[in-house]
Amino acid sequence: MLKRSTGERVFNVFNLIGFFIFTCLMLLPIVFVFKQSLDIALAGTLNISLIPKTPSLVFYKMVINEESVYRPFLNSVYITIVGTSSSILVNAIGAYTLSKRQLPGNKFMIYFLVIIPMLFGGGLIPTYLLMRALGFIDRFAALIVPGMASGWYMILIRNYYWSIPLSLAESARIDGAEEFTVFFRIILPLAKPVLSAIALFAGVGFWNTFMSAIIYMRDPKKYTFPVKLREMILLQNDSDQQRMEDMLQSMGLDPNKFFLTAEGLSAAMMIISMLPIVMVYPYLQKHFAAGIMVGSIKG
Amino acid sequence: MDTATTARKYQKNQKKILTKTNIMLYLMITVPLLLYYVFRYIPMPGVIIAFQQYSLSGFKYWVGINNFNAIFSTYFFWEAFRNNWVFVGFGYVFVTPSPIIFALLINEIRVRWYKKSVQTISTLPNFVTWVVIGGLFIQLLSPSTGYVNLVIKFFGGTPIFFMSRSALFPWLFTFMRIWKGVGYGAIIYLAALSGIDPQLYEAAVIDGANKLRQVWHITLPGIRNTILVLIVLSFSHVLKGFFEPIFILKNPMNRSRSEILDTYIYTIGILQGRFNIATAVGLFKSLISMFLLFFANFLSKRFTEDGRSIL
Repeated sequence: MLKRSTGERVFNVFNLIGFFIFTCLMLLPIVFVFKQSLDIALAGTLNISLIPKTPSLVFYKMVINEESVYRPFLNSVYITIVGTSSSILVNAIGAYTLSKRQLPGNKFMIYFLVIIPMLFGGGLIPTYLLMRALGFIDRFAALIVPGMASGWYMILIRNYYWSIPLSLAESARIDGAEEFTVFFRIILPLAKPVLSAIALFAGVGFWNTFMSAIIYMRDPKKYTFPVKLREMILLQNDSDQQRMEDMLQSMGLDPNKFFLTAEGLSAAMMIISMLPIVMVYPYLQKHFAAGIMVGSIKG
Repeated sequence: MDTATTARKYQKNQKKILTKTNIMLYLMITVPLLLYYVFRYIPMPGVIIAFQQYSLSGFKYWVGINNFNAIFSTYFFWEAFRNNWVFVGFGYVFVTPSPIIFALLINEIRVRWYKKSVQTISTLPNFVTWVVIGGLFIQLLSPSTGYVNLVIKFFGGTPIFFMSRSALFPWLFTFMRIWKGVGYGAIIYLAALSGIDPQLYEAAVIDGANKLRQVWHITLPGIRNTILVLIVLSFSHVLKGFFEPIFILKNPMNRSRSEILDTYIYTIGILQGRFNIATAVGLFKSLISMFLLFFANFLSKRFTEDGRSIL
């Protein structure tokens, strides 16, 4: 073992303390908003404690009871489940064709799916006009179908197929199996690691669907959870305040004694929005390398 | 038929294009090709709207480059253009180096569980949508109830309405970008750091090199190629990825420093229905992106170790 100099030891101590402060800074916004989501204490007295003074689950109950909030949540759940499963299926099957290097047209497909879309794009307005012409406005299809196939995901899956020993597929083929059977019976079960990685990344993406929902979803009933959350963050209007006071009264609490704002409700929504990600996070961690690959590999 | 004949037949079939196997394979990729054709390729010719008079009711007449003359003489366009590049610049100066510094420092921590917890916590925000990140910071910085202002008030200061101070916006946004991305960004550098031969450090210590010299002469050269590749790759998407954060963080008070090309396109196109002007801005932006992609490709071929190309 190497001997450490005094300077080094001092550095190490400061490094440890520095990272402790850094971690606190990382956690502060989340801890603070978590507190906001649980606290209905009247603000006024200066209180810099991060522990809720008057803890209550009232904001979470509002998320469950208020249709304009829980419907977007259910919409996001629906989009995530349908989008992720269809995207896995489409990309896993397509990637198998891409994995056949000798197949005529293979290079064209890579250009068609990865390179050209990287260089050229219609941009926001022509895409919007297309979606309107297809009748996709206010349809969940607008949020799922365009993102279903991904050239990058297919390349990632293809690279994994390449790592599967050829002999396995060969022996099945010699036994007379069709290409499709070879794929479903041999390749697909062996590709589980890469597919679960893609499922996680695609799932997080669908759960966070925001930009396309802002553009294509006009009907508040079709909002995704992040869109509703943005609305809550930006529009903390009087009607919400009124609704909250009614809510308090119905719970037998005096509205004047409690500080119940749209902020608390959006805080609860933020925590709920992060929850699924925190839940899959341990699995995500296993696949970080794959995730980074998505952004850095070439066709 | 014996196996050898089957195998030979299989190999012979590979040379023909429309064998049963190949048709099956083509069918398997039909859905992705079709989806790409519809959602990526059909909109492409749509950029000609930039040369037309085109509104909610559709095509009216050709106007040549008049739409471009119109946007280039609009103050708000240049404002959005400038802000966009300010964010890009702040990105390279502050956001890009942050994961490198993070990786170098955390690599020095020998306490396993501590290192792991710091990494776990700092990587999580990468997967949280910008809407939530923006919301977290808007609440944290709120003038009346935000924690930062509570602390300021606690120590007798006057609260600051951070999100409405337009001059502060680029700094706050940069801070949020670092907060969101530093842990995740460090992963690739930590992987590169773990690939450096420990014998190099041992030799350096025997030669009497202190920690700083070791970092300068061993660590940094060891990850130089990773840094280079990532910077070059980043040129290909400099103007992308700002829509969501700006959309959530923008408000009427900070708009002069927060509006970017993407949100400008959204406002004049989707909200105001001036499709031709919005498409012209979009086309202008894609031309810049395309140029930068070719530039990145050139740099990548020229400067990376294996001379790999991006395209």
